[in-house]
Amino acid sequence: MLTKLAGASVYDPVQGWAGEIRDLYFRDGRVAADPGPDAAIDEVHDLSGHILMAGAIDIHSHIAGGNVNTARVLLPEQHRNSMARWLNPPGLTPSMGFAPSGPALRSPLAPAGLGRTAEWSSADIGHRYARMGYTTVVEPAVLPANALDAHLQMADIPIVDTAGLAILGSDDFLLGLLRGKAGQAQVNDYVAWTLRATRCLGLKVINAGGAAAFKWNVRQFDLDDVVPYYGVSSRQILQTLQRAVCELGIPHPVHVHCNNLGVPGNVETAVATMEAAQGLPMHLAHVQFYGYGKEGAKGFSSGAARLMEAFHRHPNITMDVGQVLFGQTVTVSGDVIAQYDRHGDASPGKWAVWEAECDGAGGVVPYRYRERSFVNTLQWAVGLEIFLLAEDPWRLFFTTDHPNGAPFTAYPELIRLLMDADYRASVMARLDQEALALTLLPHLRREFSLHDIAVMTRAAAARLLGLEDRGHLCPGAIADVAVYRPQADRRAMFADAAWVWKGGRLVVREGAVVDRPAGSALTIEPCYDRRIERDVKAYFDRFYSLSLDHFTVGGVAFEREDAERFRSIRAA
Amino acid sequence: MTALSFTLKSPLRQRLDASPLVPDRLLGKSPKEIATLDLQYGNRRIAAADLFDIAGDDAESVRISGSPKLDFAGRGMTRGSLIIDGDAGAYVGMHMKGGRLCVSGSAGLYAACELKGGIVEICGNAGDLLGSALPGNKKGMSEGVVIVRGDAGDRVGDHMRRGSILIEGNAGMYLGARMTAGTIAVRGRIGACAGYAMKRGTLLVYGSPVSIGATFNDCGLHTLGFLPLLLKGYQGLNTCFSETRACRSRVRRLVGDLSVQGKGEILLVA
Repeated sequence: MLTKLAGASVYDPVQGWAGEIRDLYFRDGRVAADPGPDAAIDEVHDLSGHILMAGAIDIHSHIAGGNVNTARVLLPEQHRNSMARWLNPPGLTPSMGFAPSGPALRSPLAPAGLGRTAEWSSADIGHRYARMGYTTVVEPAVLPANALDAHLQMADIPIVDTAGLAILGSDDFLLGLLRGKAGQAQVNDYVAWTLRATRCLGLKVINAGGAAAFKWNVRQFDLDDVVPYYGVSSRQILQTLQRAVCELGIPHPVHVHCNNLGVPGNVETAVATMEAAQGLPMHLAHVQFYGYGKEGAKGFSSGAARLMEAFHRHPNITMDVGQVLFGQTVTVSGDVIAQYDRHGDASPGKWAVWEAECDGAGGVVPYRYRERSFVNTLQWAVGLEIFLLAEDPWRLFFTTDHPNGAPFTAYPELIRLLMDADYRASVMARLDQEALALTLLPHLRREFSLHDIAVMTRAAAARLLGLEDRGHLCPGAIADVAVYRPQADRRAMFADAAWVWKGGRLVVREGAVVDRPAGSALTIEPCYDRRIERDVKAYFDRFYSLSLDHFTVGGVAFEREDAERFRSIRAA
Repeated sequence: MTALSFTLKSPLRQRLDASPLVPDRLLGKSPKEIATLDLQYGNRRIAAADLFDIAGDDAESVRISGSPKLDFAGRGMTRGSLIIDGDAGAYVGMHMKGGRLCVSGSAGLYAACELKGGIVEICGNAGDLLGSALPGNKKGMSEGVVIVRGDAGDRVGDHMRRGSILIEGNAGMYLGARMTAGTIAVRGRIGACAGYAMKRGTLLVYGSPVSIGATFNDCGLHTLGFLPLLLKGYQGLNTCFSETRACRSRVRRLVGDLSVQGKGEILLVA
């Protein structure tokens, strides 16, 4: 079946299209070349006056896994309040017994279309992403012990394709290898085995060694601090894993959550981590949380300029921002040191930290970012400074570290802040002026273009993840297409796409989900020496409460074959 | 003036949210307005007159015929009296601030949860989580009195903050778990793990035998002068705790839960 999307203004940075009026064709779920004037076209959509881009890709959003479920369990009032809002539209007698009260994640009213989904359920995640024109989302923190849970949840997310990044760096097996002075080849095998066993797309390192050190009562852990008992420094762990990723030829560079998250003066940690990359590719996640200096009367200031100066000196580094936006959210992280450190700020006042099978740890702390707060205003401004100071949109990515900086549903607001300097100024007028005075933000008048947005959220994101079949509209690409109605208010424009196609199927029409095909999980299947399996099995048999067979991921596809569910990007 | 009564025409087939049927919301409404009041019934809305025969005119005094599917009865009421003739479902008396609520049968889960005032009387048994906090909330019952003539389920007074729960029968496991303050008295026996993670507050237990966790410190037998004063406060409530025998007793005092540096007490009546 051949479909023609006629007359839209197309943004595809890979082909250098920046708003040209073009026709796009797709056949059997893939973008097709112009079939010529005689071809029989089965379906034509007139998109004149609309803006067309490839489906967006979110490289860092916590959509599944142990932490996310813990957060859901910790905050049952989210669901209760959303039920109450749904059952009690204005004018009707309040029902369900629950008046909407207390904090709520930012949420517009129930979406129309395919019926209502429970708020913050996996179905809801898929629907809301699709409505914004997103078609691929990466869960960046899959703890191997939780991999099966994460994959089950991701398989339950409709429409969007998903992928996970497996966490290593605080697990007993790896640290044991390093303590025993194991060779790089053995570490490589273990990394490759882990990625295969957990069916992930890349490797994540969270505060390397921090979760292990936490168990020895370490509460501050820097790049050159040594993990007690194992005698290896955070830097050694990070560099060993980075080398493993490079040597295995995994397209996505090691995805690093640095040490000292959220600590004043931590911009130096981020810069030191860039230096530690030694010119090899490395991705630094949610750098806004590392853009802090310790100047000023309160000992907390913006380090964005320093961070970006270092970023521009290191072309091997890529970063995503992790923008903070105001409102209620919940922070979830595998960085147990950072999460424990901020548990006193929990709002509402409840929190949880946990440790799993000597594999890693994590914590959940609900938090409300407030406009009147000095600290929160500074965080907000630092994130925007990073965006606006970046010279190369191909190396800087658009995230809020959902849900840590803000829920992903706030992306349209962030796009508006980036594309509209006057709107930015009007928001700034409401904020803490003392904090803004410590930043460059009031002087930055740059506005992002639609082309920049297409680079950050499509073309560059696909390239960073090694996904050759998406993020662009060249013939052969997956027919993931998002079409927006141009509006002066960019927030409204990007909140509800006019049309979205996923793999050639129309899934969203005028902001409502009309179809929900199941997505795929993208994996990489690197090769390794089979002897590592024997070592890991012996280790599991000796120390773990689970057998190795329970640990590895299989059979998560819900009514589909695993072969349909999982797509290795190597094979593609 | 006779009590405004809602008599079920036929047994409920779905769960009914009865929270609009309280004196606060009914006062000043004409019979026609009351008949057309729309109620959440399962997944749809239904007019009150379609479910109930409505009679009487005194909205300060409301009677509803009971059903185990009748949820949220008396939610948030601040005045008057509400009588459930028969059983009540879940969340009876939730967020109630004043007035008197009486269930002549048994009540389901979360009865009197997050109670803020008034008197709730349950003549039969109460389900789990009597007088507790809603899931995810940190503050349970914070004022008022709950009387249970029969037995209560598990986790009575979970996260309780203030007020009194008087149980004339037995209570289940985790009695007064995570209590911050308040008083729970049980005439009968109690289940395991009483006072789990309690910070302050008093559990007064008459029945035996009782197994108390290792994180409670035995402080010995005492004749506490305050006990008769406490029980005297319950005199107007017509419970067994006002009997002379109940007041004249020595108690064994256990303090805890020490695992949360708690200063609460379990008083076992000798």
